[in-house]
Amino acid sequence: MATLKVEIVTPEAPLWVGEATELVARSTEGWFTVLPEHMDMVGDVVPSVVRVGTTEGEIAVAVHGGFFQVGPGESEGETLATVLAGIAEKVDEIDVARAQAAKVAAEADIAAEARNEQETAASMLARAALERAELRLSARS
Amino acid sequence: MAGGQERILRRRIRSVQSTRKITKAMELIAASQISRSQARIVANRPYRNGMRRIIVEAAKGDPAAAAKLLVTPEHVESAIVLVLTGDRGLSGAYNSSALRAGERLVRKLESEGTSARLYSVGKKAGAFYRFRGIELVEGFVGMSDRPTFEDARRIAAAVAAPFVAGEAQQVLLVSTRFLSAASQGVEVEQLLPLTKPAIVEEETEKVLKGYTEFEPEVAQLLQTLAPKALESEIFSALLEGAASFHVSQQRAMAAATDNADELGQNLSRIMNRARQDSITTEIMEIVGGAEALRSGK
Repeated sequence: MATLKVEIVTPEAPLWVGEATELVARSTEGWFTVLPEHMDMVGDVVPSVVRVGTTEGEIAVAVHGGFFQVGPGESEGETLATVLAGIAEKVDEIDVARAQAAKVAAEADIAAEARNEQETAASMLARAALERAELRLSARS
Repeated sequence: MAGGQERILRRRIRSVQSTRKITKAMELIAASQISRSQARIVANRPYRNGMRRIIVEAAKGDPAAAAKLLVTPEHVESAIVLVLTGDRGLSGAYNSSALRAGERLVRKLESEGTSARLYSVGKKAGAFYRFRGIELVEGFVGMSDRPTFEDARRIAAAVAAPFVAGEAQQVLLVSTRFLSAASQGVEVEQLLPLTKPAIVEEETEKVLKGYTEFEPEVAQLLQTLAPKALESEIFSALLEGAASFHVSQQRAMAAATDNADELGQNLSRIMNRARQDSITTEIMEIVGGAEALRSGK
């Protein structure tokens, strides 16, 4: 039987591993869905909410950029979809108040750095922080 | 006179015993850290292997685009050497063997006409190069016990910048790899240009079967993938370095505790003999004195 195994892993630990019916994510070329027996595929994942459909319901994971690979799994007929993310968290575990505070702080940092003509390391970090905060907030709304 | 020696010995025994308490405590702490750092290596493995699989996949998908990132130029003008040590000592040969391997590597590079630029992780490496007056471009400290991915990211950014700017053609890493709880060894690896990882070699055999689609194209994908792969490799080196450090420290401290035990035993044996001697002498003196008194009566 054709099955799909999904792994969402971060450098610190695998975030979610299990049997799934589908995986929905977004690469630079647009949204895509992986079903069992999907063809082999490698690509990137832009910051977005990745959704894993299982027989017990849907799992939503906010992925702050990463990569994915779809290939054959260990057993016969199994398709393995791996999402590699530097930072990722389950949407229902997002701390909204913290994300809100981070957003305000990041915006303040960007405003403070705006007087510099050139791009500074601090402004790049602040923008990345803002992107993360915005993704977290939009994932929860 | 004998009493004086006894007192000196007693003082030494006490000092050996208190040192033993310290080494024993350090041994236990290191032992508890081993399992934690080992668990982190295991937790990191899926990410690292996944990263390596994607690189292999990309290299196969478009060899021409991958060649730019994967092939080392014939002549390397300038190389970056990143040496990974711990922040603390008292860990046997952990720091010194990494530093020695680093020195060997630099000498080898120089004999090939390559200038080496040094980066280091760990206070011990920083102190070593400062003491020897060797120029260190950047030394990272305060992360070797419990490295975070953020640390790896900072190091990756620092060593990748000269490579991207074309100032260096190669980035090499000298670190202690954690092969198993019983065996760790210093290894030199090439971080950039990316190397095709050997570990997934057998795994990829079964993947060879068909055509792989790329989203986006390989050339574009590699642009974003390369820095992430570098971060991943540095992070797993940091994790393995931390675990190796704790194993080394535990071993060194266990040996020190054993030594302290032995030293304490020897000292107390000497002390007991000295005490016995002084008692014997005292008895002899009393008996001798009593004899003298009796015969003098």
